[in-house]
Amino acid sequence: MYGKGASQLLKELSSSEPGQLKNFNTDIFEEVIKECITHHLALQSLMRKIQEEGLDIQTTRNADHFGAVIHHLSLMRNKRCLMAYVYHRAEIIQSLRWKVGPVLPEEIQEKLKYSEEEYFRNHSAALMEYISELDLDLTVDMVPPKDPYIQVRVLDDIGFALVGDQSLNLTLHSMHFLKRTDAEQYISQGLMEDLSGS
Amino acid sequence: MAHYYDIDDIIMEGELISVSFHVAANGVGLDPGSETNCVEQGSKVELPFWLAHELHQRQAVSINVPACFNQKTRKEIQADAACVDLRNRCLYFYELGCKIAPMVGDRTIGSFLLYTFTCRYKEVLSKAHSSAFVVAPKFLTLLTKEETQLYEAARSSMAAFRKWRLGGPRFEKASILGKKRKPND
Repeated sequence: MYGKGASQLLKELSSSEPGQLKNFNTDIFEEVIKECITHHLALQSLMRKIQEEGLDIQTTRNADHFGAVIHHLSLMRNKRCLMAYVYHRAEIIQSLRWKVGPVLPEEIQEKLKYSEEEYFRNHSAALMEYISELDLDLTVDMVPPKDPYIQVRVLDDIGFALVGDQSLNLTLHSMHFLKRTDAEQYISQGLMEDLSGS
Repeated sequence: MAHYYDIDDIIMEGELISVSFHVAANGVGLDPGSETNCVEQGSKVELPFWLAHELHQRQAVSINVPACFNQKTRKEIQADAACVDLRNRCLYFYELGCKIAPMVGDRTIGSFLLYTFTCRYKEVLSKAHSSAFVVAPKFLTLLTKEETQLYEAARSSMAAFRKWRLGGPRFEKASILGKKRKPND
């Protein structure tokens, strides 16, 4: 049946949880592109046949015409499916920059295609440029904090890190009293836990 | 008109419906019963909605009412709307119904859809707000896509309300990272 592979791609997209990425399905993606090439060849040969019979391609409504129409519609459908697949992945990738930060953890990185990684890097670079131009970090929390400092617990062995203007030893399960803006990136990466509870 | 990239709209348009061809078409492998590579005039074929819709506009096919809108389903809905397994019949029951009604010229489909939705809506909302999480999966298997989204919306609004009332940490780990356990856990 025409357009089946393309539907499969999108079903996979809709069955995954919102905001979660799966591996780029290169197999089906390329299969659909091959299907498109077959449709294109069939479309061309039908059009040639109409022209060879000496009929006007604009007004003919014979069996060849409808065959060509079906191939044309299948091409449009496949195009829409492929575009939607890439578009939705690109949206998720964009949101990663805001949620996770400029560096992706490895388990996400391996799900991306090369071109998607490049997209992420370019988006990140564009955002950084805009942030430095504005001189305002746009990725921090939108709600003003009640207290500029929060209590956090370290969930992973980070080791020595430069937090704010001092170097801290962030060992596993140690607790710290940090500036909220400094802690934010660690919390969103899952390396720290917010203990202040408000 | 739905968004060009709308996933649900695209999947909905992949639903198969049966049509009868008024014209012949060459060079297409749509008819599984035909030996040659073409569709003959008058043959009945199952086509996905996106193809059937466009061919209908060109007056090349006529569309038969899909099984999920037939008399048998209507009787079941009248008996007890909330217990009918619509997910199994057609995952995009309402969306497909809305699109197909003007094409088959059946005026009763519209009111039938409205009746079905109003009967089931009440049930969906009350279950979403009251039932414990363990009961939900069995009931969820009966819902169409649209109803599932409503159910999720109701649940998440309740969760947000609870969070607002009881409080909780404002910062959380990005949800995309939460799925995998660390190997040393």
